[in-house]
Amino acid sequence: MLRFIVRRLLQLIPTLGGLSILLFVWLQRLPGGPEYALLPDDATAEQRAALRRSLGLDEPLAVQYLTFLRNILQGDLGTSLQTSRPVLDEFFLRFPATFELAVTAMIFAVAVGLPLGYLAARKRGTVLDFAAVGGSLLGICTPVFFLAFILKVVFAENLGVLPSAFRLSPGLSRTDITGFVVLDGLMTREWDVVMDALAHLVLPGLALASIPLAVITRMTRASVLEVMGEDYVRTANAKGLHRTTVRTRHVLRNALLPVVTAVGLLAGSLFAGAVLTESVFAFPGIGSFVYGATQTRDYPVLTGFILLIATMYVFINLLVDISYSLLDPRVRAQ
Amino acid sequence: MPTTPSPNPPEAPDTAGADEKVPFHKRKADKVDRLAELMGDREAGSHGAGVWREAFQRMRRSPMAITGAVIVAVFLVIALFSPLIATYSPTSQAWGGEVFPNRNEFVGPRAENWLGLDHLGRDMFSRMVIGARQTLLVGVVATLVGFLFGALLGGLAGACSVLGGRWGRQVDNVVMRVIDMMLAMPTLLLAVTVAALVGPSLTTVMIAVGIAQVPIFARLLRGAMISQGNREYVLAAQALGVRKRRIAVTHILPNSMGPVIVQSTLTLATAIIDAAALSYLGLGNPDASYPEWGTMLSEAQRFLSSAPSLAVYPALGIIITALGFTLLGEALREALDPKLRK
Repeated sequence: MLRFIVRRLLQLIPTLGGLSILLFVWLQRLPGGPEYALLPDDATAEQRAALRRSLGLDEPLAVQYLTFLRNILQGDLGTSLQTSRPVLDEFFLRFPATFELAVTAMIFAVAVGLPLGYLAARKRGTVLDFAAVGGSLLGICTPVFFLAFILKVVFAENLGVLPSAFRLSPGLSRTDITGFVVLDGLMTREWDVVMDALAHLVLPGLALASIPLAVITRMTRASVLEVMGEDYVRTANAKGLHRTTVRTRHVLRNALLPVVTAVGLLAGSLFAGAVLTESVFAFPGIGSFVYGATQTRDYPVLTGFILLIATMYVFINLLVDISYSLLDPRVRAQ
Repeated sequence: MPTTPSPNPPEAPDTAGADEKVPFHKRKADKVDRLAELMGDREAGSHGAGVWREAFQRMRRSPMAITGAVIVAVFLVIALFSPLIATYSPTSQAWGGEVFPNRNEFVGPRAENWLGLDHLGRDMFSRMVIGARQTLLVGVVATLVGFLFGALLGGLAGACSVLGGRWGRQVDNVVMRVIDMMLAMPTLLLAVTVAALVGPSLTTVMIAVGIAQVPIFARLLRGAMISQGNREYVLAAQALGVRKRRIAVTHILPNSMGPVIVQSTLTLATAIIDAAALSYLGLGNPDASYPEWGTMLSEAQRFLSSAPSLAVYPALGIIITALGFTLLGEALREALDPKLRK
């Protein structure tokens, strides 16, 4: 097990190394660098050249890359051109928002998707099954930003029951400890902050949950159906085990294996920031910040954030694989 | 084993005249190739055609497949013949004097404008119909980009891994690390970065959405090829001395296309949705007068509370079309799944 983890961690090095080179070369090759985004339109060519020089962009690409690499090893991902703050600080400023949103969405998706998929499989061919399959297909096919807009218009603007933007209502005072609003509120027992933050998470969470929910429902249904047809389930039923025992110990336990993988991978993609949902609900997370950085050609932010997101994604993959081997003795034996 | 150093053996069936010009060792190699192919064909041919024919017959009985096929067929007809179907020019603001977005005055469906007017007084029906063509174009080109590059990378990795020996596995390893790298980048973020940096246009959207699909296609094809590589017919072809390139291209590849074709159908749906998302972020066609469902939807969101139908039409167009392709793809996947075959 330990060897497996170490080997996977070592594999991370070439992946991230390659990714950083690719990003570096690709970003610098594109027309319209930061000297166009940061300076006014009437700036002279000398001013632009001076800015490039001050940012170190006039050096050969290899030199720039080596500098970048040396800084990374010292924990320095560079400074945002736009906000003049360290990229790492910007990341940790926004990550809690994205994390809270992603967790909310995953809770919605798992809490509804798992039981729904299981029931649809148990009652195959009924109205419930049809509705679950049809609903999840519809969920996959609906553009997220359209769903987000509908939720916003209906629940925030017309009914006015839920807030439609930001993480907290303006003017609410709170104690900042970790950056995670809900966690801080719980720790300091500021219940009004907790409730306010949770209310702000409902609509974006629902919008973001639509695709994971559909995927989890379908996967659970397919997986349960497959397991229910296995010989060992028939055997367990034939030898007179209690129905509940067969359903939990034999069917669910085996059927959930592929679902765990899917949940992990979906969570991984949600942590990358939901550009669309975040921009509809003006949620200050990673996605909207990276989108802003593409507009202003903020190279350090783009390179740094994408590298951090990729690292996170690979780590979540590793966690998924580890949990898989913990759940499935057959994988452990290999 | 009668292998040959000749680079390009004649592929056409040998006639008497061609036989005399080709040197003996090449002819011999060619005959072995043909023999192996005939044997492979009998198995793969009858088996392969059988699989597809059987799949088609199963799909004809599946309501899911029929629904999907009908939706896709209607969409294709509208998209291909859109100039004939559209009642007015999609850019003509002929009724501009009747619509006042500031005062929330919109024109709904009526005899001359079947779906009403948009916020600039353009005929909504004609814009939807012409928009179908743009949407189809984006979906097809993006899928083709993903399919071509993905199949190239995945096919290379798969073929090298199956037939290339130790060096092949090294090549496979390197290619797969590149794919992993692409997979680690979040899809939409990748597309947003590409589109934002290259500049907004319909071409950018197509390329950005397509690139995001490359790693999925590559992994699928490689996986299928590796599982096909362990089959008896590949061993038989190798034993008969068929050249490796030929085994990979004419034996393994056609038998590995099933999952990739299913994925293409599903990708058409995702591509249309992703393209709409990029349009919403303002990275689509900057010429907003030219209709495309994604652009229309993002424009109409400003009026969602006063004139919801402006957003609902393009949204329904996207959802129904995506649903059609998804249903068709899922039905195809089920029809091809050996586990479900009886």
